[in-house]
Amino acid sequence: MSRDSCWRALRQSAHSLQDTHLSELLADESRFDTLSFEHDGVLLDLSRQRFTPDVLQQLVELAQASGLRDGIDALIGGARVNHTEQRAALHTALRTPADGHVLVDGEDVIPEVQATLDKMETLIATLHSGQWRGFSGEAIDTVVNIGVGGSDLGPLMACHALEEFQPDAARSIELHFVSSMDGSQLSGLLSRLNPATTLFVLSSKSFTTIDTLANAATACQWLVDASGLEREIILRHHFIGITAQPDKASEWGIPTQNQLLFWEWTGGRYSLWSAIGFPIAVQIGMAGFRQLLAGAHSMDRHFQQAEFDRNLPVLLALTGIWNINLLDIHANAILPYDGRLAHLPAYLEQLEMESNGKSVRLDGNRVDTRTCPVLWGEIGPNAQHAFYQLLHQGTEAVMCDFIVPIRRYTDQSPHLQEQHRLALANCLAQARVLALGDHALDPQQAAAAPPWKRYRGNQPSSMILLDELTPYSLGQLIALYEHKVYTQAVIWQINPFDQWGVELGKKMATEMLGALEQNACDHDFDCATRGLLERIAARGDRT
Amino acid sequence: MKISIWGEELAGWIACAQLATFGNEIIKAGSALTPMQSSIRAEPGLLDRLQQAIDSGRMVDADLADPYSADVHWLAVAPGELDSASEIVARIAASGRRNVLVVSQSNLGTGASDALQARLDTALGQHLVYLPDMLQGGQAMRQFAHPDVLLLGCEDEAARVGVTALLRPFTREGTEIRLMSRREAEFTKFAITGMLALRLGYINELAMLADHVGVDIETVRDGMSTDPRVGPHYLSPGCGFGGHHFTQYIEGLAGLLSQTRGSRLLETVLEQNEHHKELPFRKLWQHYHCELRDKRIAIWGLAFKPGVATVESAPSLRIVDALLAQGATVQLHDPEAQQEFRAIYGEQPQLVYCDAPYDAVDGADALLLLTAWPDYWSPNYTELHRLMREPVIVDGRNVYDPQLLHDLGFTYYGVGRNSH
Repeated sequence: MSRDSCWRALRQSAHSLQDTHLSELLADESRFDTLSFEHDGVLLDLSRQRFTPDVLQQLVELAQASGLRDGIDALIGGARVNHTEQRAALHTALRTPADGHVLVDGEDVIPEVQATLDKMETLIATLHSGQWRGFSGEAIDTVVNIGVGGSDLGPLMACHALEEFQPDAARSIELHFVSSMDGSQLSGLLSRLNPATTLFVLSSKSFTTIDTLANAATACQWLVDASGLEREIILRHHFIGITAQPDKASEWGIPTQNQLLFWEWTGGRYSLWSAIGFPIAVQIGMAGFRQLLAGAHSMDRHFQQAEFDRNLPVLLALTGIWNINLLDIHANAILPYDGRLAHLPAYLEQLEMESNGKSVRLDGNRVDTRTCPVLWGEIGPNAQHAFYQLLHQGTEAVMCDFIVPIRRYTDQSPHLQEQHRLALANCLAQARVLALGDHALDPQQAAAAPPWKRYRGNQPSSMILLDELTPYSLGQLIALYEHKVYTQAVIWQINPFDQWGVELGKKMATEMLGALEQNACDHDFDCATRGLLERIAARGDRT
Repeated sequence: MKISIWGEELAGWIACAQLATFGNEIIKAGSALTPMQSSIRAEPGLLDRLQQAIDSGRMVDADLADPYSADVHWLAVAPGELDSASEIVARIAASGRRNVLVVSQSNLGTGASDALQARLDTALGQHLVYLPDMLQGGQAMRQFAHPDVLLLGCEDEAARVGVTALLRPFTREGTEIRLMSRREAEFTKFAITGMLALRLGYINELAMLADHVGVDIETVRDGMSTDPRVGPHYLSPGCGFGGHHFTQYIEGLAGLLSQTRGSRLLETVLEQNEHHKELPFRKLWQHYHCELRDKRIAIWGLAFKPGVATVESAPSLRIVDALLAQGATVQLHDPEAQQEFRAIYGEQPQLVYCDAPYDAVDGADALLLLTAWPDYWSPNYTELHRLMREPVIVDGRNVYDPQLLHDLGFTYYGVGRNSH
């Protein structure tokens, strides 16, 4: 079948289902069995989506007609899938075991991937054994990650999620993240930290990111001032550079032995599996980090090998396609019912919106369908007190992703286990009410309620149920979303691996910095910019 | 009286020697008839007196006499050996012997003596008293023979009479016996040990400060000790205290304080002590501008204190680890503890074990003195200077004279002596 006929069939199905409420679909007792899918401990339940098993089959046909099978092979095989930058996107190679092979331009990248992991392991062992010494000879006990975007969100999210998997040796090390270019996070932190025992990790793929280098310069000066030593000595003992541009890092002053490298073919938002994950290894040890990679690798193999009609990333992607392109839903809420996943929504916002927030197709033409929706989210129980009102009674249709582990606190107090049960109960209850609305109630009781107490229901949701949250299952979860994003990009025929949209603003900022420093207003600026610059110039030097 | 003496602590050996002198029959249980540890062997007067007791037949080992046939048991086991103490006491109880007195001098923590008493059979007149070990190395024989005061944890009149009679030869000069409960006596011992640790922690903190304000801590310490309220004891700055027993004992007290009172006082002392153990490394690191790769570093003294062959919790362990991690080669010497150290570290390309102190300094870029063995106090400086590649001395125990070393052309770092 051609793509066009697949789309036509889907539009037909959408039309015939448009008046069917989720409560009617859920009346089918076999629905859960038909529409929930499992791989290696991860359950994806799609039975609260507004489609039927037949529609899902049509969606699978669309994926086939869109060349997804070849697309997956191209991605994992190291083809230049990022055509605007002429490079591969090989985050899957970063978690390929040592005995695997991935060729890029005829060269196997796995040996260098493994070499970087080995170097990470050496540095982590030095840190964890208390033998990384600062300028005074004291052991480093604080690590500050300076990075932004992919060099910040991934490690931050994973470190927060996996805090309890800290091995004893890692407990002596305190970890901080600094990203904002205005120095507001850094200045507060520096006033509390001991320069003699603080190590900075500069994470920047290009090693030209102004946000990161501005913070790094401040940190370096802080250490030079505190130690009275030369910059070169400070850089040798207090800085690690993680980059794909070793020359730039060397130029900045990071000695080679303190450089951890990754490659042009690692996208920033796909980089937590690379040396960028160094802070994760600081927190959970290399064994834990390797578990994270193993979990992701398990999902990679599943993505590449499983039939689409039971392929978790593909099914999650197709569900999105249905909601966005056929049901016209353009908001996606990410709702983890586990406080450890607090940073997951922000992470997925970047992963999905920076990847698929595109409107030009691979062939250079404008897309004729909608692409990435607006994603946002929050820890579910907290969001219940914030924006769930809109989900239940607002005018917007929203698709929700519920994410929750089954077991938690298994070796801790019964009170904490009870608290997790409470979260789980809320998760299940919210998904039920969003789907059924008043149909969850006794019909008479529902009909008697005043209009402002009525629930429309019919909001579709997916449920991702993990057995428990571990480094391995987090690896699976993140890889699940990465491949979902890629699948959608293949169907929309867009490039998920570039981000040209963020470049112009950076360039303009450089110009603007000149204008601010010289208090000079370029008459080429628009009137709004001119007006603001003038006011800043007039009032800026008042104290 | 027939007395069985258990354990290898100093207090036990002193009790053997002193009690045997006054006609008691001593059975030294669970060990050889003379101490192994050199610091105990070095105790003035001890070995001679033990030999006399052995020669006269008043002291025999457990092969010649059944230790459970004794009327009195003297327990001087190490802290942390509560299990073996319990076993001994259980066997005493099981013997069914009447009117047995157990004198415990073991630092097993508050409540341990009550727990041991509970295993005895009071109906048979089996009682345990706790007599805190207050002996100081170097003066122990005299202190045992002529105590000014004895603290006695005892809750039974018959036991009090028994122990008083046993100690009468030593208390005739009007020794005051302070009677208290076993638990109070244990706590008093605990409190004294904690106080000593605080003094050491305090003087070491002051030493750090002295480096910053440009005074010699040794001069300051000398001045401090002229105040009778302060006195001279436990005020020697150095690169940290070690020794399994002392540290373990303080840890017990620190844990108790922090769990029940939320007090970090002693925990802080312990943390600072760990930090202090690496002080010689830090001085060296700074001297060589944070680069020790391929440097050759001599270490004199591995034992946690002079007179012992053990390296448990010794500063040498942390310093050698740090030097190895930085890629330095370490040349080691210790008159007694080398064997134990070698058992832990084995043979490594970066470690050179030396039989003579001067072998260790050959070609060295620095000498770190970590244990104040008498052998190291007055070296041949000319030879030292000639052998070393760089004449840098880090004196972790402040045994050398800074001015002299300076005049001889050495770069000298002590603890709290930056003023030189």
